[in-house]
Amino acid sequence: MPTLLGVFDHPLSAARVTERLRGRGYTDLEVYSPVPSHELDYAVYPKPSRVRIFTLIGGLVGVVTGYAMTIWMANDWRIMLGGKPFSSIPPYTIIAFELTILFGGLLTALGLFVVARLPRFKRDRAYSKRFSAEDFGVAVRCRDRDVAEVDALMRAHDALEVEVVPG
Amino acid sequence: MTPPPAESVAAMIRPGPPPRDSKINRDILSVMEGASLPYWLLLAIVGGFVALAGGIWLYQVYKGLGIAGYVHPVFWGTYIVTFVFWVGIAHAGTLISAILYLFRAKWRAAINRSAEAMTVFAVLTAAQFLGIHVGRIWKSYFILPYPNQRGLWVNFKSPLLWDTFAISTYATISAVFLFIGLIPDIAIARDRAKGWRKVLYTILALGWQGTALEWKSHSRTVLHLSGLATPLVLSVHSVVSWDFAMSIVPGWHATIFGPYFVAGAIFSGFAMVLTMMIPVRRIFGLEEHITDYHLENMARFLLLTSIIVGYAYCAEYFIAWYSGVEAEQTSFWLRAFGPYWISTWVMILCNAVFPQLLWFRKLRTNVPFLFVLSVLINVGMWFERYVIIISGLSREYDPSAWGIYTPSWAELGIVAGSFAFFSMFFLIFLKLFPIVAIAEVKEIAIHEKEHPGGEWEHAHTYGEIH
Repeated sequence: MPTLLGVFDHPLSAARVTERLRGRGYTDLEVYSPVPSHELDYAVYPKPSRVRIFTLIGGLVGVVTGYAMTIWMANDWRIMLGGKPFSSIPPYTIIAFELTILFGGLLTALGLFVVARLPRFKRDRAYSKRFSAEDFGVAVRCRDRDVAEVDALMRAHDALEVEVVPG
Repeated sequence: MTPPPAESVAAMIRPGPPPRDSKINRDILSVMEGASLPYWLLLAIVGGFVALAGGIWLYQVYKGLGIAGYVHPVFWGTYIVTFVFWVGIAHAGTLISAILYLFRAKWRAAINRSAEAMTVFAVLTAAQFLGIHVGRIWKSYFILPYPNQRGLWVNFKSPLLWDTFAISTYATISAVFLFIGLIPDIAIARDRAKGWRKVLYTILALGWQGTALEWKSHSRTVLHLSGLATPLVLSVHSVVSWDFAMSIVPGWHATIFGPYFVAGAIFSGFAMVLTMMIPVRRIFGLEEHITDYHLENMARFLLLTSIIVGYAYCAEYFIAWYSGVEAEQTSFWLRAFGPYWISTWVMILCNAVFPQLLWFRKLRTNVPFLFVLSVLINVGMWFERYVIIISGLSREYDPSAWGIYTPSWAELGIVAGSFAFFSMFFLIFLKLFPIVAIAEVKEIAIHEKEHPGGEWEHAHTYGEIH
């Protein structure tokens, strides 16, 4: 099946084409963008990003670790300090807070790698350095007989050019 | 009807003009190209200072902390002063990249990368001083809670331990933040690089292509990291301030220390960003991307934080008087008129008085003035920590135990080396990675094509309007 690549200079045109194509059942498509674009993200993945789950888990693990570590260690070898209880929640809250942020942040970064499937060892054939300049690309895999339709649709939405990705 | 084969459709399509590159890419990537002789000279000079400071430090490890200027009762000296100073510098980066991100202050795009990089380097510099200060560097890992044969654990009720957790969390999260933000820009550099740079950027870009899934996850990650880093940045300098405020030393034992330190940190951090970026902008011709509008916004931040810091100075004196505690009153009287009066007045003039000139737009938009002022603020903020720490410790409750501390040559050498250490990382970063967040600046420019009259236009017509 050939892959058609439409190049746009406007994120909105690329987003509209993507929506149309998805609406017509072309789901095997990929979008390349030099900048984050809310419209494009929404056109391709309408659902909220799963990165949020990683942040939540990281934060929860962090807060539990923070309290558990401090309370267990303070009671493992009890030394009276300043007449305070061995399990002093207020000072341990600072450790728990810092670990919430540390674990939450690290797991968020891990979430990016897992959800966005990074690192990626080979770049797509459709990708070129123009998509790290200022052009937006929509690459669609379609059957031979649909090429004309996809091509017409892309050009109707102000595609700068439409090409067949060699491959 | 048989559809035409794909190739014939492609042949029908008129070839377009050759793909354009982006002016923003070219402008910002050009900073990384080729290193001139002055650059190498500067790098050699700062490298020399780092080596010198390293030598002094090795000598201190060999001889012991006796070569520092410690005199009873002052055993927290210039090393701790400089540690607090550098942790403070580290605050502008996260404020700009996290808090201003949450507030959707788009002007941050021009300066957030450089500020984030400075954050990471400043934390690294600060962390050195913990090791230098403890003297017996080979025992500094005792501060970490690790299982050991003595069966002992660390004291989680100590502010110094909170500090360990705060600083190491801050260093980790700010480094993660910097790297995540860099990935799309490294991919831009990868697509245009040759030779060893191509290899380096290909590895670091992690195969980034800017697909919708990648961007969506990336935006969400940056949002969440901002949400986590915002309380973090406010907590880190609060925790540092508790190193002092949790004790009962007159001049330290104050509830205002948290906000006072955080405002001071942001104040000094913005000053450092201006000190570093004004020359960079001039030398590499980035005036189109870091415009006078951005500098003026930073000047406004300086003014705001200067007022908060000035207020804290007044509040400290008021509370000292109002408390009726004699030791407290004496401590503050001696700050202004005692042996450390020069440091105190340098701090008051540089941090609370001179920045008031920023009320005038003419001065806010005067770049040489901003540069000179930012250097003065850096000096003033170093002296602020000097005043708090040294004048506090040297004049505690019992006059018979008072003492006068002066920094030794070794301490001053290592402090000078810390500025070189910070500058060395910054200079190397300048040539390896984009110093302005390309994708974010581009995002504003592309967004502007759809909705004219926004941030981009504002930043670029700023001089003409006013």
